[in-house]
Amino acid sequence: MQSANMLLKKIIRSSVLPFVAQHGMKKDLFPLSRTLSLSLCLKQDNSCSPSEKLDLDAWKKVMKSALREEASETVSESKELSALAAAREILEMWRLAGRLVPENISEEQLKTFMECPSKSAKKKYLKFLYQKELYKKNYKRKMDEKRERRLETQEQASETDETKRSSFVCLWSSSMDRAYNWRVAQSMIFGQPLVFDMSYEKDMSIREVANTVRQLVLSEASNRRSVDPFHIHFCNLKEDSLYHKELIKNYREAWSKLLITATDQCYTEIFPKDKLIYLTADSPKVMKTFDHNKIYIIGSMVDRSIKTGVSLARAKRLGLETAALPLEKYLLWNTGAKNLTLDQMMHILLTLKDTGDWKKALEFVPKRKYCGFVSKPVHELKKNLKLINALKLGRRQEELRKQFAKNYSKKLTQK
Amino acid sequence: IQPPEKPLQAEEWNRLRESFRSPEIFEEVMFNSMVRCNSPIDVAKSLLTYVAKSNGDIAYNLLVKYLALCVQRGQTSEIHDVYDIMKARFRILESGAYNLIIRGLSNSDQWRMALTLLEELKKIMIPSRTNYESCIKAASRHQEMNLAFELYHEMLSKDLVPTLDVLQAFFDFSRGMKGAELQKELFGILLYLRENQIYPHKTFMQSIKLWFESIPGGNWRGHLTNIKDSGQCPVCNRQLEDSDLTEEEYNNLRERIIKDVIHGTDTFRKTSPQEFEAFQAFVENRLPFDIVIDGLNVSHIKPRKMQCENLFEAVSYLAKENVRLLVLGRKHMLINSSNWKREIMKEMQNKADFFFAENISEDDAFLLYATLQSGKHCKFVSRDFLRDHKACLSDSLTRHLFRKWQRGHQIASKKMVLSVFIQQPAFRYDCVVQTTGDTWHIPYKDTFEEKYSYQVPRKWLCIQQKL
Repeated sequence: MQSANMLLKKIIRSSVLPFVAQHGMKKDLFPLSRTLSLSLCLKQDNSCSPSEKLDLDAWKKVMKSALREEASETVSESKELSALAAAREILEMWRLAGRLVPENISEEQLKTFMECPSKSAKKKYLKFLYQKELYKKNYKRKMDEKRERRLETQEQASETDETKRSSFVCLWSSSMDRAYNWRVAQSMIFGQPLVFDMSYEKDMSIREVANTVRQLVLSEASNRRSVDPFHIHFCNLKEDSLYHKELIKNYREAWSKLLITATDQCYTEIFPKDKLIYLTADSPKVMKTFDHNKIYIIGSMVDRSIKTGVSLARAKRLGLETAALPLEKYLLWNTGAKNLTLDQMMHILLTLKDTGDWKKALEFVPKRKYCGFVSKPVHELKKNLKLINALKLGRRQEELRKQFAKNYSKKLTQK
Repeated sequence: IQPPEKPLQAEEWNRLRESFRSPEIFEEVMFNSMVRCNSPIDVAKSLLTYVAKSNGDIAYNLLVKYLALCVQRGQTSEIHDVYDIMKARFRILESGAYNLIIRGLSNSDQWRMALTLLEELKKIMIPSRTNYESCIKAASRHQEMNLAFELYHEMLSKDLVPTLDVLQAFFDFSRGMKGAELQKELFGILLYLRENQIYPHKTFMQSIKLWFESIPGGNWRGHLTNIKDSGQCPVCNRQLEDSDLTEEEYNNLRERIIKDVIHGTDTFRKTSPQEFEAFQAFVENRLPFDIVIDGLNVSHIKPRKMQCENLFEAVSYLAKENVRLLVLGRKHMLINSSNWKREIMKEMQNKADFFFAENISEDDAFLLYATLQSGKHCKFVSRDFLRDHKACLSDSLTRHLFRKWQRGHQIASKKMVLSVFIQQPAFRYDCVVQTTGDTWHIPYKDTFEEKYSYQVPRKWLCIQQKL
């Protein structure tokens, strides 16, 4: 800041001289502008004003001359503005004004934008689109760079070496796929079922449903890649529901070939009730061990605005047993809600299934949510925490007291 | 960066721009700092000229920023010019520019122009409440009260919430003016405060007082006072409205509590249908109660004491006066433990009725139901503000009713001193703006920031008309 200041001063100082030199001869060429004659001359003695020959309103002329040309073409265009077109124009102006607005917006998005119930909802939606666009642009740029690099290396490679020889034909990905599919097919016959309850559509917004399905796709993928996969059931999945539409959007043709069971039946119709356990963070019961004979149910729900007790209510209604992960017991919880994403749940359950090791399984809880693993009994740790807090508090109080004393003495001296 | 103090030549701007870290955003950053430092307008103009000459055009965002500077420095003619240029250059303007222009013009002698701009803005979107605020203030500043009120009603019809500032402006600028119509409108504002349970702050209250006292031939006199616990005003000796709801309001509230709070989207979330039915039957058989106690809440009053002891103390204190008590709790209280001794629980059950909900059920919902079912005389004891239950109610009108009812029926036990159970009595009178025709009673806040929604002001302005 200071250096910039210095620079400025230097520039101003150095520029005065040439102005004065030019002052005499150019004076008559530039008509004095209105504001200049009003404000500047009154304040400063006009002999050494460096800006005197500066036409401060020149920009207006430029702008006005620029608009002449464009005015003619805009007239023909603007016949009638439908609501959509008007909204599009507003967006364009907001973008020009530097707000977070996407450059391109589709008809569908524009409609969603107009249907937003409030100004803040509109703003949020636009920001979301803007960030999505930015993300896409960056991704595309990276891919382009990568392709270029690859082409370069290929060119070099083709010059230098012959084809490498090895005993395996390079068909990694497809053969891996086949192996995975074999394992999942096995699990569909012999594997332990895992149920995703798809009955929360009413409790979610469209975006939340989209997020849910995204998480489901991730969970399915990690299940497929595991050593001993679950047999995944999508229960209560209605045809033409939002879930269904989103799933098809994500999987496209692969949806019909997916090695999972998707059904519109409820899990209580498929499995015996006493074997079902509903996993929910609100459950009063805490899971102790992973039971290989039980069927665990996960609610397919993303709740951005935390809705407590929705899945617990569902389990209560059906009279099912519930359980929560023993997060408190093993982790020193820091911040964030205790509900985890579906793919995190999947990772945790898969690890439990393979190893039964809680510590290993709970590695998949996001690191920001906990401070560390509990090694000592919880109550001892809590005692420590309390002690730390008490010390902190004590220090703060002392600081306050000091501050007060200082202020007080100041007051006294002022008097 | 610091903006220069004097207008610069193109070369100088150029040099400055080059020395800046990222020249692409130099103009933007420079304008931002000009607005922040409130630079003279000529400096900004010289920068604009530089941009116009080097690019042949000026970007919209720069124009808006320049506009912000003009508004800040009150340069009306400049605002006009920029508006003309923008209008010719772009087919429509966005809300940011409109906000600035309306604000800028409404503070000048060309405030009528702001009104036409407001009309223009209405064609593309709903104006914000600050837009209306500027126009209303401008109109009332020029004594055009009819126009101001027209705008005010238009604003309300668009569900915009006026700031206290605007409302205060009405009182400030109508001082000493005559007219039955005007008086009616201003009374209307006071009733708006009443309906929305808004409390004016001290300076606003002063404006109201001064306006009343300035009405020609009105003979109004205002006094600041505190209302007695009995609900009597010490100045005019009138009794304030009591906090009872009307029969209709009461029934409405009760139905909404059952529908929104207890059942909500899913009855299983807070209780279960079986449990709720059992509770309903239990309450019907024993009606009416005088006081309903939130057992778990009361049992935590003194953390150093055993929980059942706390509860015991409260129950035996309240049981003295031959009142019918209901204590709500959860089943885990019945299991003998270090905090819940069976003998004490047994003894308490002789003094009051007990209902134990499931451990995972919400007992607060039952508390509300039992109290409302018992009738208007029934009170409840809890330190909980019940905010989450209020939030379950679906419309603001019912939420206001809930708050009003809560004020009149909740007994909060303060931290006890020497094991005496001190009651914070429920209010006997209702704390809202109220009138009897020849008197007005207006509660007010001491400072602007006081914001606890559960607290109600204890200070009042009493205005009476001497005929």
